[in-house]
Amino acid sequence: MAPAFPSGDDRADFGTGGHRQFSFHDIVLRNRLTALVVDGVDFCRLVEQGFLRSCGLETQGVNNGDAAVELIASGAKFDLIIIDMFLPVMDGLETTRRIRALGERCKIVGVSAYIGENDREAFLAAGGDVFSEKPVSPEVLIPILRELDGQYSNI
Amino acid sequence: MERNPLRRQLQIMRKSLFDQGYLDEQFVQLEELQDESNPNFVEEVVTLYYRDSARLILNIEQALERKPYNFHKLDAYMHQFKGSSSSIGAKKVKAESTLFREYCKSGNGEGCMRCFQQLKKEYTTLRKKLEAYFQVARQAGPMETACRPK
Repeated sequence: MAPAFPSGDDRADFGTGGHRQFSFHDIVLRNRLTALVVDGVDFCRLVEQGFLRSCGLETQGVNNGDAAVELIASGAKFDLIIIDMFLPVMDGLETTRRIRALGERCKIVGVSAYIGENDREAFLAAGGDVFSEKPVSPEVLIPILRELDGQYSNI
Repeated sequence: MERNPLRRQLQIMRKSLFDQGYLDEQFVQLEELQDESNPNFVEEVVTLYYRDSARLILNIEQALERKPYNFHKLDAYMHQFKGSSSSIGAKKVKAESTLFREYCKSGNGEGCMRCFQQLKKEYTTLRKKLEAYFQVARQAGPMETACRPK
């Protein structure tokens, strides 16, 4: 049975003055999913990994693109990779290209503080799947996790 | 309605932070990561943010002291700063960061300078408000929350 999301009417007002659609607690995964977070800022990585763990994923984090590429090249497997476009030394676009060049076909989500149409196109051309404003929201992430979870359930 | 006076004060402070536009939805997401095993998660993240971003503020200040302005460098610093600020839900700070980028793109040095002064004001104001908020939160103690069924 697919995870069900509460409707807008079910959501309590959290004191923000409005209704919220999704929370990271709203998803229940049936399969073990893993994620890699690539972000040069320690506390941002902490937050991103925290959200993924609250959804039930096992996570790993690295603070630069080289480390991410090395990890994938060493054989580490992930269902999802979240990459900040603004990384020290090797940027997120080049990191994405190199991960794809290794033959890795997992879902890659690119995040950036600024998003323009050119940025999105460049990321998709580099082999990325979803481009999102940073920080990635439950509205973006939960449908992706449902899809990944569903893929395992269909095997 | 919260009966405990400290908890009531905390609710009012929290609501004010959202109603006055200092914080956005991202802060709520951070709060949801806080639990018995991580009772001070939000305060820890905010502390790390102010520690990390102080370096970027200094970098931008120093870059704005050098003429002619290196708008590419300024944009890069602000890009990183905006990403960090967005990650804690700092709504007004994030808005000024976006405006700063527009000034960088149009090569408007005066605009960058003015915007940065406003950004620093919002950044400092938010820090003071959050420090006060967390102080009351610590006095109020941990709240018993119902566990969400998984």
